[in-house]
Amino acid sequence: MLLTSVIIVLREVLEAALIISVLLALSRIAGIRLTWIRWALGTGTLAAIIYAGSTAVVSDWFDGVGQEVINALLQVAIYVCLVILAMYFSVDHRAEEGKYLRLRLLMVIGVSLAIMREGSEVFIYLSGSISDLSQFTSVLTGGLVGAGIGISAGVLAYYLLLNLRRDILPYLSTVLLAFVAAGMAGQAALLLIQADWLPSQQALWDSSQWLPEDSVPGQLLYALIGYEASPTPVQATAYFGGLLLLLVLVAFHRYTQKSRASD
Amino acid sequence: MLATSLLALPAIAAKPVFEIEIRNHLFEPSEIVVPANTKIKLIIYNRDSTAEEFESYELNREKVIMGNRKAVVFIGPLKPGTYPFFGEFNPNTAQGTIVAE
Amino acid sequence: MKSIRAFLVMVLLATMTLVVFIAALRGYRASMVEVEALLDGQLVEMAQLLDSLHPDEFSRTEAYEGEEFAFQVWVSGKLLKKSASAPRTLMAPLTAGFRDGNFNSYRWRVLAKQGHTSEQWILVAQRADLRIRLAEEVTLEAVLPIIASLPIAGVLIWLVVGRGLQPLRRLARQLGDKRSDDLSPLPVSGSPAELRQVINSTNSLLNRLALAFDREKRFAADAAHELRTPISVLKINMHNLSRDLPGDNPNLDKLKDGIERVGHLVEQILALYRSTPEQFMANFDHLDLHALAQEAIGRHYDEFSSRDQQIELVGHSCQMVGDHFALETLLQNLLSNASKYTPRGGQIRVSVRSDNTGATLLVEDSGPGIARKEYQRVFERFYRTGGDRHGSGVRGCGLGLAIVRHITDLHNARIELGRSSFTSGLSVTISFPVSTVNRVGCQA
Repeated sequence: MLLTSVIIVLREVLEAALIISVLLALSRIAGIRLTWIRWALGTGTLAAIIYAGSTAVVSDWFDGVGQEVINALLQVAIYVCLVILAMYFSVDHRAEEGKYLRLRLLMVIGVSLAIMREGSEVFIYLSGSISDLSQFTSVLTGGLVGAGIGISAGVLAYYLLLNLRRDILPYLSTVLLAFVAAGMAGQAALLLIQADWLPSQQALWDSSQWLPEDSVPGQLLYALIGYEASPTPVQATAYFGGLLLLLVLVAFHRYTQKSRASD
Repeated sequence: MLATSLLALPAIAAKPVFEIEIRNHLFEPSEIVVPANTKIKLIIYNRDSTAEEFESYELNREKVIMGNRKAVVFIGPLKPGTYPFFGEFNPNTAQGTIVAE
Repeated sequence: MKSIRAFLVMVLLATMTLVVFIAALRGYRASMVEVEALLDGQLVEMAQLLDSLHPDEFSRTEAYEGEEFAFQVWVSGKLLKKSASAPRTLMAPLTAGFRDGNFNSYRWRVLAKQGHTSEQWILVAQRADLRIRLAEEVTLEAVLPIIASLPIAGVLIWLVVGRGLQPLRRLARQLGDKRSDDLSPLPVSGSPAELRQVINSTNSLLNRLALAFDREKRFAADAAHELRTPISVLKINMHNLSRDLPGDNPNLDKLKDGIERVGHLVEQILALYRSTPEQFMANFDHLDLHALAQEAIGRHYDEFSSRDQQIELVGHSCQMVGDHFALETLLQNLLSNASKYTPRGGQIRVSVRSDNTGATLLVEDSGPGIARKEYQRVFERFYRTGGDRHGSGVRGCGLGLAIVRHITDLHNARIELGRSSFTSGLSVTISFPVSTVNRVGCQA
């Protein structure tokens, strides 16, 4: 049971920790106060508990695929937040103090949604498993180990980003946000395929022999770039479309801001 | 030939339904045989009081089923082969396979 | 990086958590594999044991009643013997080896073994959930201490990093506690090698700064001193000249005025730079602040009366320790400022108070006062409110408050500007600390 709870907690914590550390590093560089993270963690945890509590009800919506549809909506909402944030951070807004409030609000929303999405599963698992007293120690230990590894990875990523050369950071964080966001788009598509809202097709390829999704590198890549071993064409389209859309919007935003600045 | 494929069409549209139960953290049956290259509808009844997560990396499916509830998962079309699945919350006992033929 | 300590603690702890937890997980996995191999070995032994029994013995022995294990002995497709926990059907297909399967609403680890005759098959099984629990119990014993040690490591890291950064914090404190005019070097002994260069550079900087200050002071004092004699000569020449020239000559008056101003300036510069703190402390003496104020008012009385200004002294005698001459200069500057900036017919009040927090000298006038934003600047040397376009039309060299500041600093006193209790005007509050006040002789 220990390994089970490690995997469940780690997978969810790692993805949230990665988003949080990239946004925290970007905020630090942009001179935005980091207090938004408290709000994000607070509302995110609360939302995760409420969402976990209402999973039974949500599951029955849309002929039994409510869970997939709502989760897909959450993923799309996180994707949109990440796209806008990537656009914001790609340009130096140092002079425009007024935008910081909106930016912080957006980060609170994005991170809260991510925590809500990832955290609800952890809560459902823990609440079910901890009630079995014979497994209490191993489940709790596993949870702690999983959370410890995930949070530590986030902390190291944060300091790694902060210690990068300042001219590299915006590009690297845009790329990181782009991949995480693309993963969200791909996940949303997968959920809608599972719900039979999008056509289900044969997988484009199967790389599970080379890099199984349930291996540690597989999990890490899943959190980093939304790795899937055997994606279908629809899923791949959503992934690469999401990636391309974000990059195009960021490039366009940079271009218009630059030309406005040079006027 | 034409007649059979015409007859098969409504069957595809209706999607063959398969049912699995989760009882005492076990899948029953633990092996189901489904037609290959056909989309199927899998209904999973969770007879335990605790939640379970139906998960399969091979099928690319993942769904939480709360205690004493049922859930619907659409699978396929699958190439012929075996596709293991497991309950992520109790992976040591809750294991099963889908065989596509 | 906001704090070196936070950075070090976070990064060290995160790295350590990653390494320790991943190592613990590896250990857990390896140990689980080992324990499961051990349990598999147990099943093999059991199968061999069952196989070694003669078929006749099966009918005589009682069947195993426990729940954890199950067995079946098949001969030529017929069930010869089974445990209570086993089903009547095959637990697993009859191919040799281990296999996982479900029956009797549990998951089992089943071993199929062909018996000593080819018709006989032995099937032994162990419940998977109990196996895992057993394996986990053994493994957790080994892994938990590693995980539990992490908080201890965290506390140690926190303490060690704090200890390692102590010299840096001490240096910061030493620099922070330094008074603005304290240019004495920082202690080098006991500082770590990494900080020695910083301390040496800071000390050399402080030293050069002290020398530069000293040179500046000495130059100003020397120049002022050297100017005294020619100015005195100039005054005598002026006096002689005025005697020789007929009647009231306005140009002559202006010249006289100019020479007076130059003389005043020189005296003020001398007052400002006359003494170093060390010389000062040596001259400290018991004195009465109230009496001192009374004397100073007496000396300036002509000035006040010529401008129809009302001057009043409030308070009682207050004994304290200080430099007599310096405090006289201080009072003289404050009174002269008050008189200068208060219009004809205005009011000036001097109060001397004392309590257990020290003694307070308060000088208030009913002049125009000073804008709040200028409170800091007026203490700068040669700064005058309003610059050259000084509204009051009053002469001055802009050194008065600089001298006052200098003297209060030497007495460890605090000086504050504010609005006077008159309808308008400036209040200057000088608070002497308890250490300089002789509380026995002080009457509130």
